[in-house]
Amino acid sequence: MTVELLSNYYYYLKEKKAEGKKIIAHMAHDNIPEELIDAAGFVPLNMIFAGNDELMNSSHDYLPPSTCSFAQSCIGLFSEKPNNFDFLELIDYFMVSNHCVSDICASEIITKYFSIPRLNFYISYTLSENALEYYKLELHDLKQQLEKIKGSEIKEENLNESIKRYNNFKKKLLEVNNLEIKGKTKLEIFQKAMLYGPDFLPELDTIIQNSQPQRSNNLKELILTGCSIFINDYLIDLIEESGGNIVFFDTWIGDNYFSQIFDDAILNSKENPYNLLLYRYRNNVGGDHMVPEYLENKVTKLEKIIQNYRKKTGKPLGVINHIIKFCDHISINSAFLKEKLQEKKIPILNLERDYSRANRGQLSTRIEAFIEMM
Amino acid sequence: MSVFADDVVTFTSMLKMAYNLLVGNSYLKRKKFREKKKLIAVALPFSDLAYACGAISVFPVRMQIFEINKYLLALGSFSSIFGWKSITNVLGFLKKLEFKSINKTIDDIIDDVIDTINKKYNQMYDLGVESGIPTDFCYGIKSLYGMYVAKGKNVEANLNFTIRCSAWNKYLESLKTIKNPAKNIWIDVPPRNIGNSLEILTNNFSKAINELEDITGITCTDNRLREHFTLRNQICQHYKTIIHEIGASDFYPSNPATFAEILALLTISFHDYNSNVKRYAENMSSLVNEMKERIRKGIGMECSKMPRILITPIFGGWEPKSHEIIYELGGRSLYADWELLGFLENINVSNNSNPIEEYARFIMNISSNKMGCDNDTLTDSYLNLAKKLNVDGLIFFQLFGCHSISNCYKLLRDKLRREEIPSTALTFNKIGENVEQVKTRLGAFMEMFK
Ligand code: SF4
Ligand code: SF4
Repeated sequence: MTVELLSNYYYYLKEKKAEGKKIIAHMAHDNIPEELIDAAGFVPLNMIFAGNDELMNSSHDYLPPSTCSFAQSCIGLFSEKPNNFDFLELIDYFMVSNHCVSDICASEIITKYFSIPRLNFYISYTLSENALEYYKLELHDLKQQLEKIKGSEIKEENLNESIKRYNNFKKKLLEVNNLEIKGKTKLEIFQKAMLYGPDFLPELDTIIQNSQPQRSNNLKELILTGCSIFINDYLIDLIEESGGNIVFFDTWIGDNYFSQIFDDAILNSKENPYNLLLYRYRNNVGGDHMVPEYLENKVTKLEKIIQNYRKKTGKPLGVINHIIKFCDHISINSAFLKEKLQEKKIPILNLERDYSRANRGQLSTRIEAFIEMM
Repeated sequence: MSVFADDVVTFTSMLKMAYNLLVGNSYLKRKKFREKKKLIAVALPFSDLAYACGAISVFPVRMQIFEINKYLLALGSFSSIFGWKSITNVLGFLKKLEFKSINKTIDDIIDDVIDTINKKYNQMYDLGVESGIPTDFCYGIKSLYGMYVAKGKNVEANLNFTIRCSAWNKYLESLKTIKNPAKNIWIDVPPRNIGNSLEILTNNFSKAINELEDITGITCTDNRLREHFTLRNQICQHYKTIIHEIGASDFYPSNPATFAEILALLTISFHDYNSNVKRYAENMSSLVNEMKERIRKGIGMECSKMPRILITPIFGGWEPKSHEIIYELGGRSLYADWELLGFLENINVSNNSNPIEEYARFIMNISSNKMGCDNDTLTDSYLNLAKKLNVDGLIFFQLFGCHSISNCYKLLRDKLRREEIPSTALTFNKIGENVEQVKTRLGAFMEMFK
């Protein structure tokens, strides 16, 4: 599936380039206003690819091994140039952003050592009124950077149009989220959707129309929180092989992405479109970048999901907190998150791992033990 | 045995600073309970606003009770009656008489100070890990969290500045998970200096000042701010003199290991100016005078043949034996993290300026031009200082678990190579854990200068 996905993606991007569009890659998780890139007539490329031993190892020429395995692997993709990743050659610009400091460092290395022109987009760490003011500055700055490339102004009506396109697309993903299908199937849809963006909408419609409920009665139902499961990661297989089924992806690839939608009243309020982006940024209280309320917001959100699920299905949910080794954002609070959820009698597994193959066995054992315990 | 204690006898100000560092617990208790002063915790040198609002800043490790060498304790008590000046005279006199036991005692004092601080740091590290900080984080974060777990409840508030390091910002958030957490006052520093970011930061500072005023009940007037900034400017000026005038010269007022030791103690004590800015400023002034006086009299060490090595960064944790090892290998070490990151820059205090805005400008310079919002800027700061100090080599401490500063080494090495400045990276996890490896690596590195 992955090989086909990546090779098709190559042709998709190639076509876009033939239309004169620039490809703008980033690893900034849920913070990038893709609509602005879209409105400029460019294509955002989410770096959502999992790593492996080779990719991680090859990043050690640039960064110490105590860097998040995902960031290591992103660098590895550019230095190793593995098969099926030819589409990375099509990138015109790479966005350096501060989702976390690994994002800054890895993106900077990619731009510097692999000669990809750089764009900048930084955000504050809090959601205070002044942080919003700052966000406006960054939006304005990004707009100018994009306009410089484009050679003309980004019109407000184009941005409005893009916001609507992405909004419909994300709403559709929310529908997928509610389908009764296995976690792996759902995840693959999300991953593909996040590569193709709103162009994937027709396919999403078909998927929804043709979807058949997949029974998973003998599987234990789970929420995945923390770090995303990226394309080509074996983790989702391990979870399912161990008797688990992810019914809710509380991660960047998942709810953090598609829950960032506007209701129609706001969308049609004829607001300046930049204010819409601002509004969305302000509401992204679950984003792992934010301080100082991230932990509280996370606990509240998980509790709510679990309660609603129980109401709807009568079943309990366990939580897998996926921690990519050396992830600043997810790792530091993991013990505290566990404590808080356990106080509420919610089973949780802090699952820390890097992308090495050698980890598989140990991960399986831990997941199995957790699911057994549930 | 310490290689430098002999010199310390005539650096009373250094003894004083070391003493003040270690007796923080009783000093702070007195301030808090008798004088009803409000304590504000800071880490990294972000203590200025708290002082300007009438509070006392404290780097949390100083709330610990340290086992103080009994002689240093005696010196401290003696000083409270006769003053520190007389201590220098007494020690100097005893030393001249060449009482072996006296010399030994002085050596022990200084050894003890350094060991005591390091042991405490390591204890706090263990406590941080026991209390839930994953081992994957840097030494600084683990030990700081431990410090707050141990004593954080004694402060009224923590002053939290966001910086480019995500681990740092998340660690600041995690302080709330500690039992009886203090209030957290946040200062969100805009990541880049674009548009009216300076205005935004100024406004963030005004808000933080309001929160501090609510705690202290003291209005932070422009004059108060200017007065405080003037004092801290003096401190920074003295600090710069020590680094640039004395550190970059070829005649040191002491043996170079002592000199490095002083720089290391300054790095630690500068976080909170030992909780008393005026006293700290006086000590800094005397330290510079003592150094200059010795140089004038030709007391010290000619070290033009000793390669000058910049060791950095050390503020998040480093192996404190490094400068002794380098000294034994024929080199001299400089520690200058705060200068490198722009913390020693002047804050404009002219009457027609807005002091909050000037402070914002100062912090913005640190965050955008020195620490930088990327490694290109940060590595330029290392390079610029290395060139300015005309160093012969640079030793970079790569902290296990540091994903911010440690990650810049490859870029830095490339830049240093272009300038033909040799460098090496030493990995660090915990004080004392890797001394043998450090020795070997430094041995190999120092060979280059033979
Ligand atoms: S996995 Fe964590 S550390 Fe790595 S890039 Fe994402 S947020 Fe940053
Ligand atoms: S920059 Fe590095 S040493 Fe400093 S707090 Fe961040 S991770 Fe720790």
